[in-house]
Amino acid sequence: MSAVEPTGTPGGGGSVVEVRTSATAALIPTIRAVASDLAARADFDLDAISDLRMAVDEACATLVDVASPGSALQCSFTVHGNVIEVEARVDTAGPESTVSTDTFGWRVLQTLADEVELRTDGGRSVGILLNKRADPTPR
Amino acid sequence: MSAPQDSTRPGTLVTRLEHQSSGAAVVWVSGEIDTLTAPALDEALTALLAADPSDGVVGVELSGVGFLASSGLAVLIRAAHQARAQGRDLHLVAGGRAVARPLQVTGSDRLFTLHDDLSTLPGGASSQVD
Repeated sequence: MSAVEPTGTPGGGGSVVEVRTSATAALIPTIRAVASDLAARADFDLDAISDLRMAVDEACATLVDVASPGSALQCSFTVHGNVIEVEARVDTAGPESTVSTDTFGWRVLQTLADEVELRTDGGRSVGILLNKRADPTPR
Repeated sequence: MSAPQDSTRPGTLVTRLEHQSSGAAVVWVSGEIDTLTAPALDEALTALLAADPSDGVVGVELSGVGFLASSGLAVLIRAAHQARAQGRDLHLVAGGRAVARPLQVTGSDRLFTLHDDLSTLPGGASSQVD
């Protein structure tokens, strides 16, 4: 184990990469580049890399929209064998800052990822948890 | 204020409307289409569908696009519906996986007439070969 250590992620184990940026759309290209790189290193096939990159972009763009001014976007990637788990989170100003799951973007996110979950924290923060397997599920 | 020089820099998008010798109007797009740049794509496609005779062939050349987010997909889908309302198809050159995969995985590829390159556009150089 080097400087990167598991930080109490569900399932434990796996290698963890955390990226923290200002919650601004201008920095999402950096985060999706990290997602692509990790997926390529985890031997994801090309379609699955593309899907993960787009899913992470979608999750981050959704969260940046509801982030409180000046807050950070925290993205944590955990590689468990052939699955990458991503948790993205931003601070929010209050319970009215919610993510709508009744949108085109959310439906696309559900299509791209194997599992997606919205996690709210009493109006203090909102997170999106998603899982992607190395092989795309046939559609 | 100078325009960005490097069109492939993440988060940038370059669009150019061009009239083919066949009479088709084509928007060339290169860069990355995400929430930041989707409005620029929207503007280019609105101009494409507004500027030309409503029976003209319209296309979008996306080979130079390295990323397509759902916000960009939504813009393309809206343009396809708008073209359909005008009684014509929106022709797309998807190019690589970065565009083809999002279209395929969301099923939105059915809304467009897809081409490998512009030569198969109706009225194009080799379009006599059916």
